[in-house]
Amino acid sequence: MPITVKDLCFSYQKGTPFEKKVLHNISLTIDDGEFVGIIGPTQSGKTTLAQHFNALLMPHGGSVTVNGYLTSDPQADLVDLRLKVGYVFQNPDYQLFAQTVGEDIAFGPQNQKLNKEEIKERVAAVMAQVGLDYDTFNQRDIYALSGGQKRRAAIAGVLACKPEILILDDVTAGLDPRGREEIMTVIRDLHQKQKITIIFISNSMDEAAELAERVIVIDQGRIFLDGAVREIFKQSAQLRSIGLEIPEVISVIEMLQKRGCVLPTIPLNLAEAIDCIATAYREREENR
Amino acid sequence: MELTKNITLGVYLPGKSFIHRLDPRTKIIASGIIISLLLIIRSYPAYGVVFLFVAAAVLIAGIPAGYAFSGFKPMLPVLIFMWIFQLFLYSSSDAKTLFSWWIFSATDAGFHMGALVTLRVIFLFGVTTLLTLTTSMVSLTDGLESLLSPLKAIGLPTQELVMTMVIALRFVLILAEELDKIIKAQMARGVAFDRGNFIQKTKKIFPVFLPLFISAFKRAEELIIAMEARSYTGGRHRTKMKTLHLGRVDLEAGLIMIAFTALIIYLILITVPPI
Repeated sequence: MPITVKDLCFSYQKGTPFEKKVLHNISLTIDDGEFVGIIGPTQSGKTTLAQHFNALLMPHGGSVTVNGYLTSDPQADLVDLRLKVGYVFQNPDYQLFAQTVGEDIAFGPQNQKLNKEEIKERVAAVMAQVGLDYDTFNQRDIYALSGGQKRRAAIAGVLACKPEILILDDVTAGLDPRGREEIMTVIRDLHQKQKITIIFISNSMDEAAELAERVIVIDQGRIFLDGAVREIFKQSAQLRSIGLEIPEVISVIEMLQKRGCVLPTIPLNLAEAIDCIATAYREREENR
Repeated sequence: MELTKNITLGVYLPGKSFIHRLDPRTKIIASGIIISLLLIIRSYPAYGVVFLFVAAAVLIAGIPAGYAFSGFKPMLPVLIFMWIFQLFLYSSSDAKTLFSWWIFSATDAGFHMGALVTLRVIFLFGVTTLLTLTTSMVSLTDGLESLLSPLKAIGLPTQELVMTMVIALRFVLILAEELDKIIKAQMARGVAFDRGNFIQKTKKIFPVFLPLFISAFKRAEELIIAMEARSYTGGRHRTKMKTLHLGRVDLEAGLIMIAFTALIIYLILITVPPI
């Protein structure tokens, strides 16, 4: 299910004195199986852009095509589209509303009119995928969950609709390092094992570097940079100019390069960095 | 999907117009006078004059006409329902029957009563919206508090009451924003709010309110803590950073209001009400 966006424009409060243009002529294509990070400072239009991918917002100019169908086409089956393009919201409290975790996850499949057995199977399956033990959490009260567990329940609720594309809107915000690591592992598994296309919205460069294959940087409603993750992080000066931090690993590497250290590749995470620096060090020792 | 777009009540539109510059007390009293007049007006010419007056105020305040009207959009079904209700149920002894349907019959008295009640609600809403569009929350609070201060003598906690009221007004918009997010989250999981018959549609609304209430309580609690953290105590010993002053514009507005009130009362006296 590829997504094609052409010259997309959008304003909030259109037609009122508070009208605010949020997206300006955005064009992009996201193909099947990609892992795309949408990165940008707060208020840059990331969420607004992503909510066009599953027709929660309709373009005021330009077009959004998902799987060959225009979202603005009055004939389009938007309910089906929204189930296939899953969206996990920034704040799980807006998304979770049933009494128990199990009931909440079953909400999507119920809307798809599945029978009881199928629903139960799906709930159990997605809970396993996000690492929530079925027997412990199925009957657990939603409001008794921790922040990380809420996020996982929210992701499970969306996965239960069997999406082909999964949009994750800043799902690690406000989590402690362990909760963050757990969520990132879940996301990585979904992409690698289930082959789901993932669109990962964040303002954390570190997370994008660790997870995404391609990064789209948005600034003030326009595409600022779009490319493979390694290419993007080579342009650290440009990223800093719009107020984004570059990944810590890359800053260390930059410092090493400035001091004349020659490195074989640009690492994106700690493990790669250790390898990379070790190799460079060994080569230098051998050359001496 | 954008709920906040059609909400004009409780929104402040900053500006420097004649109406914006008025003392909040002048605006509150003027709104009070218009609202009181609306309750006794029973003739169309008088409504016509009120309409011209309010429309002129909207123009002077620099509020785009389209925007001023957009606030009525969500109210439209209620207004139509009210009219129909009056049309069939209100009657008087000398009323002429317009048409009958099953056990209901519509009379001309009902028609006029419906029109008057609907107009009344429209203008009440319009005047209140105009007040909040041209008055910031802080000056609205100050104005109301100052006007209610005589009631302190009988032990009424006016400052707290006004604060509560203004916060409630502000929450209209905040809750609409949250409702927007909740509805979107449910649409994303396959709820089609625009499909199905009336009962099916109504059923879909309930799951929306649970998270809304929870977030409203949470927000209220956070607000309390934030206010306490900044040492808000309420009560009589609070002083003002900016004190209110009546100026020339307020005198002018007062004269305009006197002329307007006289005209309306004159119209009420000379015109024969339709019912």
